[in-house]
Amino acid sequence: MIPLVYYLAGAIALYVIGMYCLASKRNMIRLVIGVEILMNAAHLTFIVFSAYRTVGYIDPLGHAIVIMSIVFAGCITGVALTIVTYAYRHYGTLDVRKLRRLRG
Amino acid sequence: MFTQPLDVLLIFTITTPVIGWVAYKKANRKIQGIYAALGLSVTAYFLYELYKEVAEKGVVLIVGQLPFSPPLGACLKIDMLSVFMASLFTITGLFAVVYSIRYMEHDTGLTEYYTLLLGMIAGMTGVVFAGDFFTLFVFWELMCLTSYALVAFRKQRWEAIEAGFKYLIMSAAGSATILLAMSFLYGMTGTVNFAGLAARLNNATPDGWLYVTLTLIIVGFGIKAAIVPFHTWLPDAHSAAPSPISAVLSGVMVPTGAYALIRILILVFGSMQSVWQITLAVFAVFTMFGGNIMALWQNDLKRLLAFSTIAQMGYIIFGLSTASLSGLTGGLFHIMNHAIMKGLLFLCAGSFIHQVKTRDLKKLRGIRKTMPMTSMFFAIGAIAISAIPPLNGFWSEWMIVTAGIEAEMILFSALMLANMIISVVYYVRVIRIILLEKPTAVSKKAKEAPASMLIPTFILAALCIIIGVYPGPFITMASQAAKAALEVQRYISLML
Repeated sequence: MIPLVYYLAGAIALYVIGMYCLASKRNMIRLVIGVEILMNAAHLTFIVFSAYRTVGYIDPLGHAIVIMSIVFAGCITGVALTIVTYAYRHYGTLDVRKLRRLRG
Repeated sequence: MFTQPLDVLLIFTITTPVIGWVAYKKANRKIQGIYAALGLSVTAYFLYELYKEVAEKGVVLIVGQLPFSPPLGACLKIDMLSVFMASLFTITGLFAVVYSIRYMEHDTGLTEYYTLLLGMIAGMTGVVFAGDFFTLFVFWELMCLTSYALVAFRKQRWEAIEAGFKYLIMSAAGSATILLAMSFLYGMTGTVNFAGLAARLNNATPDGWLYVTLTLIIVGFGIKAAIVPFHTWLPDAHSAAPSPISAVLSGVMVPTGAYALIRILILVFGSMQSVWQITLAVFAVFTMFGGNIMALWQNDLKRLLAFSTIAQMGYIIFGLSTASLSGLTGGLFHIMNHAIMKGLLFLCAGSFIHQVKTRDLKKLRGIRKTMPMTSMFFAIGAIAISAIPPLNGFWSEWMIVTAGIEAEMILFSALMLANMIISVVYYVRVIRIILLEKPTAVSKKAKEAPASMLIPTFILAALCIIIGVYPGPFITMASQAAKAALEVQRYISLML
């Protein structure tokens, strides 16, 4: 059995990749994908922990949480793509740098 | 299924589209709004019933229908703190809905608007009722998803699209961070139930994973609670959303982040209390300074109020970071006052926008001449929030400062006093612009807001004065809620 640490390292690497994607990418669709990667990093850790809690058994709690959470990730993507569509209609581009009229 | 108030909210959320179809057939644009207001009134009644039950029993526990007992299955757990927060949500939501009936009269998509607004209030109520981390997360996502759509509601304008997208990306990253933290907690203990987590981790010796989890929790909920390095979505989202939505977002949704933070930190991270106390206090001071200093430069009325929200969140988080009874009482009392004051200010700002179609303070000069009532209510709210003694803001901010001194955080209390003075500066500037200066061409043409918009602002302004003059019962409510938040052992023993 592959040690738990490798899976955790993979999940944390996914989290870092997602954060890097959010920080550096300019295309709005890529930002949405970055959010998906972040969510999936968390899903992966749930699945791994549910498999490793007792050897030979799978804890159903982790799986139940992940199935629910995948639905939320889908909902977030849906709302995000709707906003991206309106932004594209308005600006004619998906470049997030063109959306810099607001300064927080 | 999930306690009566939450059931009523969810049922009204689901049935609002049907009522919207009826309204479309009857060609009447007010029916959905009245239906939503009815739903929130019924919720308020059932919440009062629930309050009586909680006052009698201490904690009401609702277990799911599945054959799983609480450490494994989902559950709701309602104590005084939950009821306190939920009543604020319901009341602020009710005012926002009544106000929207007239404010949104020229917009399309009213059915979606009221559905989403009720959904957001249902989500927030669920967050405070949740008894395990995953239930909290489910309702947290309900609250977040509806609020994304509401911030981007006026989708034909560039501002709403930009603010909505920025808010969505930041907040979704925060949600993912919370989920990752939850998975680590699950990996350490095998449960996501708050009582189970508290029983296993409250006395654990802190190790590396616990520190990582604590960081992820503070970052994840801090994005929603607008702690300063993560606050950048807030000014855009609050100024782009329709004004009643800004009132709900600023008044109660941002404090929901603070609620989740303090609930989880006290229950789960009891062993690392000294670590998170000082972290939160430092973040709180940055938040106060960031919000107040940025607010000094703003010429846009709603952006100014949004930055002021960040500063007020700094006060609230400082009060909660003391983790003492007096500090939590002050923080929760300030959440209540902030919901009332910021609701009042955003609704008044909405009245100005509705009448003169601008948020520019230069154009709003001297609007007192044409909109005397709204200007007066706005001034009451501004005086209250800048902590001038006879009004409500003073009591809660003063309680937080004294609690900070009691908890031996004298430096932080002194910095908070300095911030209270900065906030007086910009609110006096706004009051002077609105009340004392000569009217401009734009503000001369304004008319007083219609009655259905004046009544909610009037009630909120009256509440500012009533709580200011007679704070006793309200402080008692806040202190009961704070006591419930601190009773960790009782919380554990009732569940396991």
